[in-house]
Amino acid sequence: MTAAVFRAEWRKLTAQLSTRLLTLVCALGPLAYVLVLKTQSGVPTDALLGVWVHTSGFSVVFVLLVFAGSWGFPVLAGVAAGDSFASEYRLGTWKTVLTRSATRGEVFAGKVLAVVALSEALVALLALSSLVSSVFIIGRQPAVGISGNLVVSGHAVLVVLLSWLWDALPVLAFTSLAVLFSVATRSGIAGVLGPVLVGFAMQLLALVGGSTWAHLLLVGSAFDGWHAIVSEHPQYDLLVVSAAVCVVWTAVCLGTAWLILRGREFAGTVEGRGVDWPRLLRGSVAAIGGLALAAFACTWGPTGVTGDRLEASFTKTFSNLVRYQQQLLGRPAPPQSALLAYTTCSRATNDTNEGPGGDWTCSVQVLTSAVTGATPGQVSVPYDVDVQSNGCYRAQAPPAVVGTKNLTTEDGRDVLNPLLTIYGCFNTL
Amino acid sequence: MLPRVPAIKASGLRKSYGTSVALDGVELTVEPGEVRGLLGPNGAGKTTLLRILFGLVRPDEGIVDSTGRLAGFVEDPTFYPNLSAQANLEILAMLDRESTPTRIPDLLRSVGLTSRGRHRVGGFSTGMRQRLGIAAALLRNPQVLLLDEPTSGLDPAGIRDVAALLRELAADGVAVVVSSHQIGEVESVCDTFTILSRGRVVWSGDVEALRAQATGSGFRIATSDDDRTLELIRSTSNVEAARTQRGDVVLIATEAALDDFVLALARKDIAVRRLELLVSPLESTFFALTHDGAGPALTADALADNPSLAAQ
Repeated sequence: MTAAVFRAEWRKLTAQLSTRLLTLVCALGPLAYVLVLKTQSGVPTDALLGVWVHTSGFSVVFVLLVFAGSWGFPVLAGVAAGDSFASEYRLGTWKTVLTRSATRGEVFAGKVLAVVALSEALVALLALSSLVSSVFIIGRQPAVGISGNLVVSGHAVLVVLLSWLWDALPVLAFTSLAVLFSVATRSGIAGVLGPVLVGFAMQLLALVGGSTWAHLLLVGSAFDGWHAIVSEHPQYDLLVVSAAVCVVWTAVCLGTAWLILRGREFAGTVEGRGVDWPRLLRGSVAAIGGLALAAFACTWGPTGVTGDRLEASFTKTFSNLVRYQQQLLGRPAPPQSALLAYTTCSRATNDTNEGPGGDWTCSVQVLTSAVTGATPGQVSVPYDVDVQSNGCYRAQAPPAVVGTKNLTTEDGRDVLNPLLTIYGCFNTL
Repeated sequence: MLPRVPAIKASGLRKSYGTSVALDGVELTVEPGEVRGLLGPNGAGKTTLLRILFGLVRPDEGIVDSTGRLAGFVEDPTFYPNLSAQANLEILAMLDRESTPTRIPDLLRSVGLTSRGRHRVGGFSTGMRQRLGIAAALLRNPQVLLLDEPTSGLDPAGIRDVAALLRELAADGVAVVVSSHQIGEVESVCDTFTILSRGRVVWSGDVEALRAQATGSGFRIATSDDDRTLELIRSTSNVEAARTQRGDVVLIATEAALDDFVLALARKDIAVRRLELLVSPLESTFFALTHDGAGPALTADALADNPSLAAQ
């Protein structure tokens, strides 16, 4: 019977204007973004790997994944699932549905399966549209990964698809959250906006404190799980923890929603009830209290952002990018073993040398004897580094030391200087 | 001979919402093939009782025992407005083990909606939604049919159609419960009545027993001399009369008393120009049974103040 409810719900969902519009946005949104990108010289430097969007279509897909994780997926989950239960209250159709032979449990399961299927189908559509648009319009050149490693075309497709596939998990958790909002509040507006506001709150919390475990327990952090896949050496421990967080969020949200629905009486429609101000006030106070508590929790506990981890990651990323730079310039890439570099990092305003922040400085010492065309000796390259609580960073070097944004190859072509802006991520566990 | 098993039996139902008592020890038994009218003024507890029978609301006390498939609707039938009538029925059929989607065209025809099957329900009138609600209920092949005010919004022809359909279903052994606050709309189709007032059953029995309790009917009378008519009524013990604001004369009397009164008018050379039934015997009994502050009492003054009492 659950399968029959699923089919009925799927038919209702696909007949809705909101679903059709969302499908259109998922299908054409990435194409529009890539076309705009193609006509502009600017790059979204704030987004991870953002400087590479004109170099490889795969880099565009990663940038789209960053945007989707920030806003797109919570909105998608909210629109797909937020009105599914609330609309039955608004239309007064619960009494129509619940006077058939399907039990309340079967109806709940069928509706949840339908909205989850819709959310995940839209994620798949978004992934496909992003990949096809980016590769066809920008190109399928090798992409620079999170460790400065080169991801070549065939492997890049796999990595990109795995990254989008990974995000299916946090999307499941956000869809469950939308179901909970929809059931608990009986309001389509709350169901749609709830996951978006929770996603926004989690982004704010990511800027607060450095407690690694507190941040990992926020389901919004799971959208960063793809960093562990794109990294040169996959970080399986991070993937396991993020997956567990998503599963627990999903179970708690759906379990709570079911308990509410099971115990609810259908004694009338919600039409004309107006705003329940005392209830709204209580809910707002509880939400603000919860947010304050979460903010406090984020400052409590050990941080995984340490100077040692940053130094190790930076050295590796920098070395990979030096080799890539030499390749771009048409020179033989120095072997990894010959490229001697080490990094020292410190914070300007924090003696403990740990924690996220934009006040990190890293200095890379490079033995240039292995670099073709460079004057033999030791060069120090200073970087201003902004490190986030998830272990990802963006480093900027002075052009006077590493060269300008574009470099000219020996055959006269302009190429992007990989050492000017460096992106990387390290494992915070 | 085996005793007949009721199609639905509710015992000792109590339900309160906060301090407001919606049902207070309600009993209801409906046999297969019986059409029972569930009557009462607004707020009597009819809809709450139907919600409990459907399992939408849990009673505080009491049990409901049903032997067959329940179908029907509570309050107004509701559908997905952006979908067509046909699509709505197809979706409801999916939610049922018992429904047969191939019957949908026949059902739409039986409720007179064949030409509207592909139209969006959002554009339907109240009467059309009532018809679709009945089709949705019949889609389940019900053994017990519970309909809350099924004739609301229907034109006289629609009411006749629904009445005929319900009689047909009852003849096939379906137990039917029809709620209404207008006894006149359902008296022609019901075999039995349960009358609720303030959450209690104040009367239950068959239509003949209810008629036997009738205390009088309400009439509007126009004569050749209304003033003398009123004088005559004042001297008659078993006829009660009053004037409406428009000057019409309304009166309350049993059939026998009315016969005597009309003959008395003739003896006084007063001609009866028009005699119109405003409140039927069943309706007057209904008013009397439900008059304890919750419903209007049927008196000549009340009828004069509000001649449309019969339509309430």
